[in-house]
Amino acid sequence: MTVPNTHHDMNQIEEQLKNALCRQDAPPDFTEQVLARVAEHNSSPQIRCDPWWSIFTRPRVRWAAITATAASIVIGGIYHNNVRRERAKGEAAKQQLMLALRIAGSKLQLAKAKVNELNATQTTSPSRSEQE
Amino acid sequence: MADSALAEHPPDTATAFADLVHRHRSMVFSIALHFLADRSAAEELAQDVFLQLHAHLPTLKSEDHVTFWLRKVTAHRCIDYKRRRTVPQVSLEEVAEPFAPAPAGDPIFERKLRHVIASLPGKARMIVILRYQEDLGPEDIAQVLSMPVATVKSHLQRSLALLREKVLRSIGEVTI
Repeated sequence: MTVPNTHHDMNQIEEQLKNALCRQDAPPDFTEQVLARVAEHNSSPQIRCDPWWSIFTRPRVRWAAITATAASIVIGGIYHNNVRRERAKGEAAKQQLMLALRIAGSKLQLAKAKVNELNATQTTSPSRSEQE
Repeated sequence: MADSALAEHPPDTATAFADLVHRHRSMVFSIALHFLADRSAAEELAQDVFLQLHAHLPTLKSEDHVTFWLRKVTAHRCIDYKRRRTVPQVSLEEVAEPFAPAPAGDPIFERKLRHVIASLPGKARMIVILRYQEDLGPEDIAQVLSMPVATVKSHLQRSLALLREKVLRSIGEVTI
């Protein structure tokens, strides 16, 4: 055993490292094993782990997605327009109802005033006859 | 190795791939073996690297590119493998090496040296392996491991000093 002394030079260590770390042969059937694994890998069904959005790379799916998006935008627009129109109709009906209620209220006030006035005249006329 | 090797042998044929594996298997296997100090694990890891190479062949342009890619992938796989397996394993390296040919020089000392190298931290160990097995310079190692050249140099210096100290200490223990 060649034992380096305490003054062992770094160059000697490096030389020993080169010897210790020389390339070693792989097992004799290494290449065959790799080829067998490659063949096995190629023959086995591939489980694709593509991201979900990769389906849009297919032209049919892409066109279907574009059509669906356009249709949903159009349908959404129509629906939104209808909702807005219905709401406007509702607002107009509400305004009409409020106007009708205001008119009815003023008429009621008028009728009430008349009734009060009649009541007042009826209560004053018998007292006069009693005095006479 | 000629850069035009890939052009001469179209990589999509099985024969060309087998030729690539045959040319580089010793390099990949040795990096894994010296790093993991476990023959069966090194063999499995090397096979995985070549399997990955087969999938990436169309992206590799030249023989040099293949060599660089293999070193890079092997190095990173080794470091990842060791990081995942923190539980100490019984290494065949420590038991017997029936297949491995004895390297030139003192086999006992070199075996001891390999044992000491195996005790280095992951990245430092890989740097030492790439430096002394593959004879790469710090710049090339930095490219393979995607780290600054200065870091590689400092790792190398520290590792060499540590190795020298550990080897001397272990030899001292043996002689005592």
